[in-house]
Amino acid sequence: MAKTFGWRCDVALAAAVLLACVGCGRGAPVAGPQADGAAATALRATLAEASEGGGGSAAAVSTGTGWATLKGTFTFLGSPAAPKELVVDKDTEVCSRGGMKLYERSLIVDDATKGLANVVVFLRKSTRVKTEASPDQVLFDQKNCEFLTPVFAARVGQPVSVKNSDPIGHNTNISGTSFNQLIPAGDSTIFTSGRETGLPVSVTCNIHPWMKAYAVFREDGYVAVSANNGSFTIPDLPAGEPLEFQVWHERATGRSGALSLDQPELKWNAKGRFKLTLTEGEVRDLGTLEVPVDAIGG
Amino acid sequence: MSACGSVSSQSGKNSPAVALEETSPGTSPRQRDRAIGGRGSTGLPWLLLAAMPLVAIGCGPTPAASFRLNMFEASQQRLKPSQEQQVATILAAMFGSPDEPVVLAETGLDEAKLQLAAGPVRSDIVGRKNGLYREHCAHCHGVTGDGMGPTAAFLNPYPRDYRPGVFKFKSTERADKPTHDDLVLVLRNGLAGSSMPSFDLLSESKIDALAEYVKYLSIRGEVELALMRAYFELDDEDQGKLPETREFLVEEILAPVAEAWQSAEDAVIDVPEMPADIDLVASIAKGKELFYGNKANCVKCHGVTGLGDGQANDYDDWNKVVLQAHKTVQGGLEQASKASTWEMDSDELSEHEADLVWLERFGKVLDGNALQPRMIRPRNLRQGIYRGGMRPLDLYYRIHAGINGAPMPAAKGTVPPEDIWHIVNYIRSLPYDFNGTLGVDRPMVARDRL
Repeated sequence: MAKTFGWRCDVALAAAVLLACVGCGRGAPVAGPQADGAAATALRATLAEASEGGGGSAAAVSTGTGWATLKGTFTFLGSPAAPKELVVDKDTEVCSRGGMKLYERSLIVDDATKGLANVVVFLRKSTRVKTEASPDQVLFDQKNCEFLTPVFAARVGQPVSVKNSDPIGHNTNISGTSFNQLIPAGDSTIFTSGRETGLPVSVTCNIHPWMKAYAVFREDGYVAVSANNGSFTIPDLPAGEPLEFQVWHERATGRSGALSLDQPELKWNAKGRFKLTLTEGEVRDLGTLEVPVDAIGG
Repeated sequence: MSACGSVSSQSGKNSPAVALEETSPGTSPRQRDRAIGGRGSTGLPWLLLAAMPLVAIGCGPTPAASFRLNMFEASQQRLKPSQEQQVATILAAMFGSPDEPVVLAETGLDEAKLQLAAGPVRSDIVGRKNGLYREHCAHCHGVTGDGMGPTAAFLNPYPRDYRPGVFKFKSTERADKPTHDDLVLVLRNGLAGSSMPSFDLLSESKIDALAEYVKYLSIRGEVELALMRAYFELDDEDQGKLPETREFLVEEILAPVAEAWQSAEDAVIDVPEMPADIDLVASIAKGKELFYGNKANCVKCHGVTGLGDGQANDYDDWNKVVLQAHKTVQGGLEQASKASTWEMDSDELSEHEADLVWLERFGKVLDGNALQPRMIRPRNLRQGIYRGGMRPLDLYYRIHAGINGAPMPAAKGTVPPEDIWHIVNYIRSLPYDFNGTLGVDRPMVARDRL
């Protein structure tokens, strides 16, 4: 009996030591909160109730009439470092043809005007839309192992022609959409987004990992990407009602790329959003929107 | 020791607060201690005395199992504690608990099946087993279906995290959900070359219940992600709180997720039959040409040898988000360390401090609530081991639709069906292909040679 005991104890100790050790391997999980049982039961009753017809979404009540235009120009207050050269270690006969080099394009600033390119501005919620989605294709091309449009916008339901102008094959992988398609040399395929993206999503080529771009899909098409001189224009916006815009840049330090500027009169907040109301027929020019150095991360 | 073991390795350190989560069922530690000590024993040996507190701390009393909140996404979205609490409560309202799952009609899920799969492992009065998920799946996939059961860290590839609602091996287009039958097939056959075993010995109704439960965990996980991401989309007037209305929670958040699962049933890829009179030798040759050519471009990732040694430094979607989060945290801490705090006014300073607190916590979450990111290797096509099944049809699906969540792109649209069949035939010949002439004197297969 005593012998069995000792043996059992050894096993117990060994197991205990083992447990203690296994416990130390990885960091302890951060415990989340537990559900509030009473509140959950009450909420379940609310949710289980049969939907009482109609209902109608809370948003989307138009209060104004007519249309207006918003424009502005982003400028960068710093001097961007020379862009990094990308490591091209594949298909060099095409991607580095004639000693051509590829550079990363996350911060494109115009030398002369200091205009900041590829800032995305879009209306968060719209109550009405002037024009339906165009059936015209948006071209998204790649050549010399680079996406030709670093940031592109399209409407939900609008066909995007994903093209490959290279003599080698690529694949185009748009995150968040499950679109990942082989694009043979010189070929193209059509992608139509079925739903909105919140903030822009990344577009990559898995075959050539240095290739990167961003895409944004909006239901109402009230979206603009700033041009090389930093300017953007969104026409045909609903006038006479409060509008809220979201601003994004690939390297903005705000959450998920939200670009936040110090513009108290526009109530520009940390989420990279500003608010204004346009009057009918107005062309509101926000002028020069200066982006300070610390709004852009590394 | 099973209950004890799983608690300890899941909760990492032996903190009681953590041990509350994801406990597996089983005997309580007290019962077990009694069993070890034996009945009526006097004067316990010191070894046991020393071991007991460890065991006791490791397990504590066995509380009801609970779902683990997606702390990774909560950190990513920088949710406040009150917001995390709100998500936990909404999820409990919509989906119940691991012991008592409930579902709204909109999910299209069968609660009776879920109950067979849910809860602790137990038998009813006629000896029918319940708690199938925890008996067969939770060790690897976790009680929450987060792919982080106690054994997960030791497996390669990691067990699937159901929460993003992305599944690789299915008969539907890349962006679509798997059908119920797709999940059943994976349960029946297992996934060759991974740790996923075959559960073919389970009865049809049990497999069916498990497939239903996987859908339940997946829908729950997707709703959780959608809720957490919805905070960013809130307007200022909402004051950081999601509306707890049927309109928002069911119609806006749950319905799209559930509909995607339901529509998958009618979205099976239409595969044209392989031409019956196909000349196999010619087809293999054509497939080889496509494999190396610029149209299908398989060679870029699967390599000139077909050994999967082409583009081999990529990540799948599950690992990529963790990798990016590591970069966010490291980059954030670096930037914060460079910040000149003495130039800041009080607002900026408190913002800076809040950033640091968030980064530090996110770091801990990455450490304890996520697995170390791991690269994904393109399949070695010379082994004849295909995770998603070895039928020609399975390979057709993989090539046509690509593999959701993985870098493998879809060939549909740009590669016509007959060409896909040629590639299938070529791939199926690869394990038997070698640099020589096939003949009775050279029966060696590539696998032996390599």
